[in-house]
Amino acid sequence: MRPILASSCARAATAEEARFRIDRPIAGRKALILALDADAALVVDRVAERPWGAARFFHADALSESRLAGELADADVAIMIATADANGELAAAIARACVERGIMTAGLILGEQLEVAGAVSALRPYARNLMVTDDEEDVAEVLRALRA
Amino acid sequence: MLKAEVNELLTQTGAGTPTGELFRQYWLPTLLAEELPENDCPPVRVKILSERLIAFRDSEGRYGLIDEFCAHRGVSLWFGRVEECGLRCAYHGWKYDVTGQCVEVPSEPENSNFRRTVKLTAYPLVRVGDILWSYMGAPESQPELPEFEFARVPSEQTYASKRWQESNWLQALEGGIDSSHVSWLHSGGLKSDPLFKGARGNEYNLNDLRPFFEVAESDGGLFVGARRNAEAGKYYWRITPWVMPSFTMVPPRGDHPVHGHFWVPIDDHNCWVYTFDYHPTRALAPEEVRAMREGHGVHSRNIPGTYRPMENKDVDYLMDREAQKRGETFSGVRGIAQQDASLQESMGPIVDREKERLVSSDTGIIKARQKLRKAVEALRDEGVTPPGVDPTHHRIRSAAIVLPQEESFIESCRDALTAQPGVAHTSV
Repeated sequence: MRPILASSCARAATAEEARFRIDRPIAGRKALILALDADAALVVDRVAERPWGAARFFHADALSESRLAGELADADVAIMIATADANGELAAAIARACVERGIMTAGLILGEQLEVAGAVSALRPYARNLMVTDDEEDVAEVLRALRA
Repeated sequence: MLKAEVNELLTQTGAGTPTGELFRQYWLPTLLAEELPENDCPPVRVKILSERLIAFRDSEGRYGLIDEFCAHRGVSLWFGRVEECGLRCAYHGWKYDVTGQCVEVPSEPENSNFRRTVKLTAYPLVRVGDILWSYMGAPESQPELPEFEFARVPSEQTYASKRWQESNWLQALEGGIDSSHVSWLHSGGLKSDPLFKGARGNEYNLNDLRPFFEVAESDGGLFVGARRNAEAGKYYWRITPWVMPSFTMVPPRGDHPVHGHFWVPIDDHNCWVYTFDYHPTRALAPEEVRAMREGHGVHSRNIPGTYRPMENKDVDYLMDREAQKRGETFSGVRGIAQQDASLQESMGPIVDREKERLVSSDTGIIKARQKLRKAVEALRDEGVTPPGVDPTHHRIRSAAIVLPQEESFIESCRDALTAQPGVAHTSV
């Protein structure tokens, strides 16, 4: 059976038909970016200087439990930034708070694979998505991709 | 989300485009060897990276890949005759050899030098495994031949197929990097497909639909590890390698052959998907090869005489709502390959990545795009050879493994992720 209209079947997946796709504003993620150690804090401070939407940047060790809870109240993703010196206990506390609230956790660990192996182990249980990279720019890249 | 200008940068692969130049640094799958099965067989039209070419095999078994159109009046050489070490145009008999050199112009005097001034663009075309590979870049930069394990094992241990996908290459590749869709879109196949079923790993897959992901860089691209809960204190890891620009391998299941893909742009709205299955240590069983030919596993069943899948967009991918309702397929489309293709084609020929809403489990895709962009820019601005050109980057494997929770997949699987001739792959 031949379709009556191109738009009624899979043949509608053409460049021409793309102009009929509904276009509306897309909300960004309410991301909390948390540095887990001193070197990570320097990176987070640099990235925070760029223009962002709803993203908020913190040094995790400077956040009290109640302040963290307050910041998480309207967040929908927590991204932990770490280097070789990542504080696993801090990551665990953040992750516990996120799990209670149904907030997605991710971790970016900056450094060479071998040098940051300890940090990777420390974060693995707590970050649903983990990336090891030696490129600081990846922090901004991920935030941009998430519309943070 | 990706800015429109970056989306354009990464999806355009014609001559002179930055990503087109990136692709032209590599040997690329261009035909299956079966398409030119014998000396002086009929020529085959080839479109790759938006260039129209003709492939042929001359009387001495040499492969040629040259401009499709005769230098004389611009007719297609597909109508030509492959004879006496050349391809002769059907219109006025001009004849070319595998280097594109015109060797005969019948209308000119026999001792005329004119033919020596006529040469069509030509690219080297060589057979490695069951694939004919071409290199379309500058001759002085031509790399060593590919060393992907699937193309280097004895022929009885490997099988390759191809299919036409009606979408840009990048959204197809991204499907290969994103293993989070497997537990959903391909859940039916894990239970029933003869090339998947029976593996212990399938149970881990189906029992834990929310995997954790870990992305790590490799010399040639990335490793994407997906981990699920296994027995107490252990994780089941499935590790997918990506080698730039567009090679991925699916983690294996049990003792089934291991498979993967190579996505090659035809033009900006179409790509070829080269799909392989191989076993590092044994010949493929006749029933395995039969299943592959019938479109099981990650292969497609194609319309006879073509490389177009039967489940294509013109027939709504033979959507079967009853099979979907019964749970035999998750999307109603038969076969892993066309389950992927149907959804990727539904995005449109080039998906508008400004409108997507990525989540953190898309980290592999985000990182792959960033690596591609950086490689494209480094090549364009500084002439830096991109990752994946060096054939040592090809010697990788996928792996499926159960590890203690505290172990890093990268450290624990260093050997498992390296191709080692005669050594079995690591699989659960």
